[in-house]
Amino acid sequence: MELFTPDFGLVFWMFVAFVILFLVLAKWGWPVIIKSMENRADTIDKGVEYAREAKEQLDNARSEAQKYVAEAQKQQAEILRDAAKMKTQIIEEARNEASAEAKKVMDAAKVSIEQSRKEAELQFRNEVSKFSIEIAEKMVRNQMKSDKAQVELVDKLLNEIEKN
Amino acid sequence: MNQPIEMTKHFKHIVALMLALLFAFPVSASADQEKGDEKKDVNVKEIIFEHLGDGYGWEVPFSHVYRIPLPVIVKAEDGKWFCFSSASLTEVEVVEDMKTGEKEKHLLPVVKKVERNGRDYEFIIAKVSKHKDKVVQIFPLSPQEESRVVAMADSIAVESGSSEGAAVVPGYVYHDGKYYREYRTFDISITKNVLALFICVIIVTAMVMSVVRYYSRKGLKAPRKGMGFMEMLVDFIYTGVIKSTLGAEKGRRFAPFLLTCFFFILVMNLVGLIVIFPGGANLTGNIAVTLVLALLTFIVTNVLGKKHYWKEIFWPDVPIWLKCPLPIMQVIEIFGIFTKPAALCVRLFANMMGGHMIVITLVLLIFIFAAFGAAAAGASVVISIVFTVFMLLLDVLVSFIQAYVFTMLSTMFIAMSQEDGHAHGESAAAELSADVEA
Repeated sequence: MELFTPDFGLVFWMFVAFVILFLVLAKWGWPVIIKSMENRADTIDKGVEYAREAKEQLDNARSEAQKYVAEAQKQQAEILRDAAKMKTQIIEEARNEASAEAKKVMDAAKVSIEQSRKEAELQFRNEVSKFSIEIAEKMVRNQMKSDKAQVELVDKLLNEIEKN
Repeated sequence: MNQPIEMTKHFKHIVALMLALLFAFPVSASADQEKGDEKKDVNVKEIIFEHLGDGYGWEVPFSHVYRIPLPVIVKAEDGKWFCFSSASLTEVEVVEDMKTGEKEKHLLPVVKKVERNGRDYEFIIAKVSKHKDKVVQIFPLSPQEESRVVAMADSIAVESGSSEGAAVVPGYVYHDGKYYREYRTFDISITKNVLALFICVIIVTAMVMSVVRYYSRKGLKAPRKGMGFMEMLVDFIYTGVIKSTLGAEKGRRFAPFLLTCFFFILVMNLVGLIVIFPGGANLTGNIAVTLVLALLTFIVTNVLGKKHYWKEIFWPDVPIWLKCPLPIMQVIEIFGIFTKPAALCVRLFANMMGGHMIVITLVLLIFIFAAFGAAAAGASVVISIVFTVFMLLLDVLVSFIQAYVFTMLSTMFIAMSQEDGHAHGESAAAELSADVEA
């Protein structure tokens, strides 16, 4: 069976061919390929890690920004609230002041009105008394025009005094 | 290489039979039968062995007689080296058929004469000899010796019961009606298989170097298409087999050998499946090739083996009565050192040779069945072609699997010889951590 008996020539050349191939590839082939593949794998791993970190940082930054925004909003609301409070306070104060002023003015007006009224009353009384005296004088003069009337009056008065 | 079996003829037959099936069933049937009487029977064994074996020349595609000449390098009996073209060992003889005028070409061996220092050296490709199809140096016989050899040949022929042709007499070669004394030369010719080996070496180098060149030019950019596939294979073997079995550090040390093994075997397997010139050589189906591969694994395993490996062989961890008075385990272990690479050698050889043999046999079925008329021939053509294609595709798969299995087993044998024993747990832990990292 020639198939099962190795031929020396072929064994020899196979050995030579394999050794040459092995030496060439072991020197210039496989180490380069393996190193490149491992380098690339490392780079990819690093890239993934970097991306993960970057994402994490981005997430952090985002939440931080949100925090800042929330804080700003809170501050804004506070400021607004303060402003509103201040506004009402100012308005209240203004109102109070105004009403106090108005009251003062009113009081003064009342006092002056009262005074004028009293003065007018007084004047009016004087006038009335003066008029009534004049009227009485005129009536008296008118009634006492006749002598008879005068005598009667004197009589009457005298009667009265007598009775008393 | 020398028998008049013609692939061209076969090819023509296939085409002719297909056409016959299509157009002229009954006509071709009768014509075929007429022809069949003249044809010699198909010598199946001869054809199979020729296709599986080596040769001094390489067939020109689609021509069975013309050969690409290759250098023959031989050492004669007196220790002188000779180198000549394989074309000078054969001659194409054209035989014209008297009736049909059809020309048939035969390849015949001829004697190559070289004169050096006043001495004649004669070489021939032996046909009827113990060293069939090898280059032998021949010496003419004296008349007495010749008559003795002829008598021996006759008795051998009577014993074996075969009447046709000349009988094989050990130590003698029959050529052109005469016996000569033969000397099997020390032969390191660049045969078909050797040239195919060199072609495979070039292919593997080109494949690997193209990837290397790509890396040096493009840096970390991942290669695409063919080179990407190449890289995938490297990664598959390196990460999947070598690193996972040997660990990262030892893996790096043994990777060049194992990767070279894998790619060389893979390329040899696949090139062997190609039918014409750059392929067609049944390399890994040749036991010499697988023997060298297995031998190299054997050398790497045993020469670089650690102390623990040898301790396991000569003093394994088994009950004392298995190893002390009678060295049972030692014998088994030492036997195992040799059977492991032997199994490697035979596994690859048998798988690849088997695949080739099945394909050739399937094709030959057509010519065997052709004797039974056109209908049988037509049917067998269809069936054979379908099965042949299926087998070839299967062989592509087998090519890969066998290269993988060879590499994997070599890796395991090396791993066994590299074990440190006490560092068992450490390496496992390292592997685990490597897995976690990955």
